Amino acid sequence: MSEDTKDTIVISRRDLLLAALSGAALSAVPGGLAHAQAAPRRGGVIRIVAPANPSSLDPATGGAGSDHSTLWPIYDTLTEWDYQTLKVVPGMAEWSTPDPQTLVLKLRSDKIVFHDGTPMDAEAVKFNLERNRADSRSNVKADLGSVVSVEVVSPTEVRIKLSQPDAALPAILSDRAGMMISPKAVKELGAESDRKPVGAGPWKFVSWTDNDKVVLTRHEKYWKPNRPYLDGMEVLIIPDQATALRSVTSEQNHLAYNLSPRYKPLADRAKNLTVSTGPTLYCFQIYFNYSRAPLDNPKVRQAINLAIDRPAFVKATQGGLGEAAYMLLPSSHWAYDKQVAALYPYDPAHAKKLLAEAGFPNGLEISFGGYNDQDSVRRAEVVMEMLRKVGINAKFTNGSIAEISGQFFGNEKKFDALLSAWTGRPDPSMTYSLGFAKGAYYNAGRSEASPELSALLKESRLKEDPEFRKAVFAKIQHIVMEQALVAPLAFRYELVAATKQVKDFRPNLLGKPKFNDVWLAS
Amino acid sequence: MATQARKWEFVWRRLLQTLPVIVFATFVVFALLKLVPGDIALTLAGDNATEQRIAEIRHLYGLDRPFLVQYGSWLWKAVHGDLSVSLLSGEPVLTSILRSLPNTLLIVAIALLLALLAGIPLGIGAASRPGSLLDRGLMTFASLGVAVPNFWLAMILVSMFALERNWFPTTGSVPLGENPYEALRHAVLPALALAAGGMAEVARQLRSSLAELLSSQQVRTLHAKGVRPAVILWKHGLKNVSVNLLTVIALLANRLLAATVVVEAVFAIPGMGSLIVHGAVHRDFPVVQGVVFTMVLIVIVINFTADALYRVVDPRVRS
Repeated sequence: MSEDTKDTIVISRRDLLLAALSGAALSAVPGGLAHAQAAPRRGGVIRIVAPANPSSLDPATGGAGSDHSTLWPIYDTLTEWDYQTLKVVPGMAEWSTPDPQTLVLKLRSDKIVFHDGTPMDAEAVKFNLERNRADSRSNVKADLGSVVSVEVVSPTEVRIKLSQPDAALPAILSDRAGMMISPKAVKELGAESDRKPVGAGPWKFVSWTDNDKVVLTRHEKYWKPNRPYLDGMEVLIIPDQATALRSVTSEQNHLAYNLSPRYKPLADRAKNLTVSTGPTLYCFQIYFNYSRAPLDNPKVRQAINLAIDRPAFVKATQGGLGEAAYMLLPSSHWAYDKQVAALYPYDPAHAKKLLAEAGFPNGLEISFGGYNDQDSVRRAEVVMEMLRKVGINAKFTNGSIAEISGQFFGNEKKFDALLSAWTGRPDPSMTYSLGFAKGAYYNAGRSEASPELSALLKESRLKEDPEFRKAVFAKIQHIVMEQALVAPLAFRYELVAATKQVKDFRPNLLGKPKFNDVWLAS
Repeated sequence: MATQARKWEFVWRRLLQTLPVIVFATFVVFALLKLVPGDIALTLAGDNATEQRIAEIRHLYGLDRPFLVQYGSWLWKAVHGDLSVSLLSGEPVLTSILRSLPNTLLIVAIALLLALLAGIPLGIGAASRPGSLLDRGLMTFASLGVAVPNFWLAMILVSMFALERNWFPTTGSVPLGENPYEALRHAVLPALALAAGGMAEVARQLRSSLAELLSSQQVRTLHAKGVRPAVILWKHGLKNVSVNLLTVIALLANRLLAATVVVEAVFAIPGMGSLIVHGAVHRDFPVVQGVVFTMVLIVIVINFTADALYRVVDPRVRS
């Protein structure tokens, strides 16, 4: 689900014109100043452009993927990940698994305090995990489904009892479920915690005005020494990307992220901007309803996978800024598998043959759901044309994300397929269970693809050993791709435009930017 | 005394007439939001949605209640001054509106002012010599104003005056009470973009009614009596077309309010337009209802004011 594009209101012709016009304007901007590399400077308030209004600033009750970049600054997580590979690393806590059904979390400091001055200790961790697991307002209940009980061992240590081994848990605690909120604030504020977040992250909350901005200021008692560099952060909500980029080009704001590749030439041309790009887990893909005809036939689904010329897709829809997707993980991910990635080269002849074997020698019509913003429409056009070449007539119905995805995944079961995206998850087991487990919401047909897959999904959580998990994921990916339960198309690249004043910003593989290391040159 | 009583009766009647309008407008919008596909529960359930969670959310937010019950409960609260909170973000709708409305009103007010300041002289200029080169030139110019889409003009203005020359900010807005100078500086470009169409409309309407009047028998008589052309134009002409002009202004003000939706997006102004677009896209019906409610009120106030002014400028309406 491309949840984090749902706020991007794109008015197509306007954008095109805008792109053309501001392009002309940008080229007239004189060259920026070159800064020498220096040690991080303390101070300054960064103005960051975010594409969407947060759904909530309480990590447990929010839902949109676009929230994270505003949540990371307010909340530190129990675990974190490596920016490039998403390998889990300690955050506020280190973890160990004395036995497969126990996870021990040990806080790395006894000096961690929330913004309201209360201690971020084992009691707070217990409170948070129990709230996330059971509170009626929690959206992350399913993430902590394996947790049975949380026991405080010492002020800096908790012991989590699990109903079954869950090797995905450390990664899950790097996301919403591991963002720690002040128990005192939650008890006092109730549902108001959505709008008055109190975390233990580097910046504390000042104000949030809907569709306008979120203001944060330095947490003076932040537990990491000499951090953060920035005195504060203003997150400005600008859904229109061209406008977002313009506001950075004019140096009114410092940084805009999650830009469409469409704006790369514009950003490149502006001499006063630094452009950062990097792969993300965000995968454009075709979802199949494989519980009914015609897509219940694996040969038809395989034919679709063979009919897509992925490098051409990246070129046509992302201006070459992206990575062809042959499975649901990009090549830089720790669980990427080369053999799986080789399953579907571009082979229209083979696709036609498979269609003939499936009983469609003269081709067939498949109904597609799609979205009506400019980038989505372009993707739909390219897919349509590629499928047409093998005899598949893709009949698209376009609409808003909420409307079309609801019709496809919800009870209506409209359309055979949906051209959308998957935003990616810190642990691959989350991606595969959310998308392909029997009864999962993002498995539109709700049917079980194969008992073997169900067993493997469980197995992937048995042991934490990376080599073991890599092997299990290879098998899962093999089944998913061999049976063609999905047609991955391309991974989105992060595109960030920042003024030269912004230093040490690095994109991450999750595609949800963190600003913890960023500082502003004077 | 009789006139005084009539005046109040007029006011009361008008106010009573507005009630069904408000109920009808909010009901239609509510029905539309519910009829079109798309479910806010999906958005609220977020990225890790499960069917169970979606059902829970429907229940939690009362979205599983019958349609009329949902509308009724909204209306009941609204009547008691509670516009509910945004389903998406939890912000009280009244707070959002009170923050956004001044931003929108400022732009609309400046745009209206600019449209009148430019449109009235253009209209008079054209009408004073109907059919002349000046007339045709001015009217071609005005047609251009109508034809140019405001978002396009907005982008041209930004690239000329905000990106190339750093005269105005590219985006955003500042509350008038916080910093009047910055507030105006932020509002100039969006107001200009909005004003172009209005200017043209005022000019064209004024020209046509004025030209018609100036060729009437009444004016011919005035000429025959030897009244100077300037006096005819200013004293007799403008006075007579002022009713038409009032109508145009009221319509224009209402239309500008709607047109801000696009301009607000181009300039990233957190106004009523951004509010309603965001609300409508995600089916956040309390927000949409609140904005519609406010807009209907504003339009009613504008029309009411125009009606009241008719009575001032046109003695025939009074009797």
